Amino acid sequence: MSLNKSALAFAGILLATTAMGTGAALAQAKVAIVTPYMAQPGTQFYVEAFQAVAAENDWDVNVIDTAGDVAAVISRIEDLVVQNVDAIVINVDPTQVTAGLQAAKDAGIPVFGMDAGADPLLVTNVTSNGYAMAAETSTYVADRIKGEGNVVMFVFDAFPPVQVRGVIADAVFGNFPDIKVLDRVTPDVSDGGIADSRAKMEAILAANPEPGSIKAVWAAWDQPALGVLQAIEDAGRSGEGIVITGIDANPQAREAIATGGNFEASVAQDFAGIGAATAEAVARVLGGEEIRQSVTYVPTKLITAANAAE
Amino acid sequence: MQLFIRRYGTLIGFVAILVFFSAMLPGTFPTARNWLNITQQVSMLMVVAAGMTIVMVMGDFDLSVGSAASLAGIVAALMMAAGQPIWAAVAVALVVGLLGGAFNGAMVSLVGILPFIATLATMTMFSGLAFVVSGGKTISGRAIPEDFGNFARGGIPLGEWGGVAISLPNLSIIAIVVVLAVWVLLEQTTYGRRLYAIGGNMEAAHLSGIAVKRLRLIAFSLTGLAAAAGGLMYASRVASANPVQGSGLMLNAIAAVFLGTTMSRHGEPRILATVVGVIVLGVLDNGLTQMSVDSYVRQVLVGALILVAVAASSLSQRRR
Repeated sequence: MSLNKSALAFAGILLATTAMGTGAALAQAKVAIVTPYMAQPGTQFYVEAFQAVAAENDWDVNVIDTAGDVAAVISRIEDLVVQNVDAIVINVDPTQVTAGLQAAKDAGIPVFGMDAGADPLLVTNVTSNGYAMAAETSTYVADRIKGEGNVVMFVFDAFPPVQVRGVIADAVFGNFPDIKVLDRVTPDVSDGGIADSRAKMEAILAANPEPGSIKAVWAAWDQPALGVLQAIEDAGRSGEGIVITGIDANPQAREAIATGGNFEASVAQDFAGIGAATAEAVARVLGGEEIRQSVTYVPTKLITAANAAE
Repeated sequence: MQLFIRRYGTLIGFVAILVFFSAMLPGTFPTARNWLNITQQVSMLMVVAAGMTIVMVMGDFDLSVGSAASLAGIVAALMMAAGQPIWAAVAVALVVGLLGGAFNGAMVSLVGILPFIATLATMTMFSGLAFVVSGGKTISGRAIPEDFGNFARGGIPLGEWGGVAISLPNLSIIAIVVVLAVWVLLEQTTYGRRLYAIGGNMEAAHLSGIAVKRLRLIAFSLTGLAAAAGGLMYASRVASANPVQGSGLMLNAIAAVFLGTTMSRHGEPRILATVVGVIVLGVLDNGLTQMSVDSYVRQVLVGALILVAVAASSLSQRRR
């Protein structure tokens, strides 16, 4: 009899805790971020900014770092689906975690990409606009050379996110009748892209020895721009005022820009802005809104000698 | 009593973990769907750990299993990207694993290098090879045939459970088959018994007429084969391959086998004990994620658990 009583009491406690648990769940939305790339600096900016917005909304945020293990991202998404969280945010190529995304979709749990890549299984992917970034630097080049002269382009059409940048630069330069694209170079990137871009630029410099015969070099990302800078400096032609621009504003590029040399501009992604915008997208969906854009773009920032050190 | 705790301490701990999670997460943890998820999540580790058990029975190690898994995934993905049929890609990748394992075995048994050093060297070699053949890139997207990725998402339907359709995942089925095969090999054949004899005393095994060199060579080959299978399962699950994706499997596989050894009579590896070890690791990941425990705290807990289990086992052994 006493056994029955204690069993009843135990069941009562269990019920009470469960009831409390559900009560809390109603008040506080459960949101999880899953990433294999927490160790990368950009990711930390995303997550911190996300958590700031989450704190305002009083969400219960669970940040899961699988330390480079992509299969574990799928496993953790499955766990979160079983746990029935309110929303999941991923920071990994969605095509690699389709199994997990499908499980979430089947359970009706919205999944958001934080600079992850567009995918039909995501509500939206929040990222920087590659077209806009290329527009920033190509118009910078056109303005700096006052709309006339020879320009060399470094592109990489095999990689879609970089290919879109080249398309925009083509359009901008094409819109100035006095700008001539001297060469459209695709460097070999197997060693990172700097060394081969430098070699290609050395050849172009040799073929165009007259000062002023090359007004600017537009690169679709920072590595070729850095290689071009080395080639120009080594050829002793840094005094000709050849304008170089890159994209991404990596630390090496920022350093080069800050010295005030030929490498004049690049574009930085706003990682914190991406994190905050992702959290806002989550808030909208939790609030019952429907998001139509499969990609949400966050503005980027032109980096010049004026702000490179920031 | 001492003996009881030593042999069953880990098992009791395992049951305690299950009870704890079931109490904390009554609605989600002890459900068929969650357990089928867990079997799928641990399936790759299970296969690699089963292979690891074979060499650890002899008191040897194989540190190269993670790199071998990555290499196998890369080889298969590159072949599929080049338009080869899936079966051919899988077969070649498995052969690569088998040959890699045989190379380990040759270094250890024929040349006579300590397994720790030999497989440390091949770990670097296999990893380097994976980078060389892939150019360091992740092979994903349209390069991987849909059927290959769909395999890991499929399974045998088991009907409905609480309104949710559940199925036994294909990856879990492979893991079960591999475990059964290793169980038969180690527990039911003379080959297996000889491996245990080598593990007990290599010199005595040699003097009693066991072909130690040949058996070790075969054992390492099988471990390499299992590592390749695990790598292929991983590649199928993420529908992609990159040159480092299997690297996490090695330490976890060794940890699982060690956890298992705390359950056997003389501290020797047993395949069914390894299975419990793998499931402990998988359940901890699953349960702690559901309880929203920080992922870094989780790592500390898993490491501490291994220490506690092995320490408890060796302390009580010494007292005896």
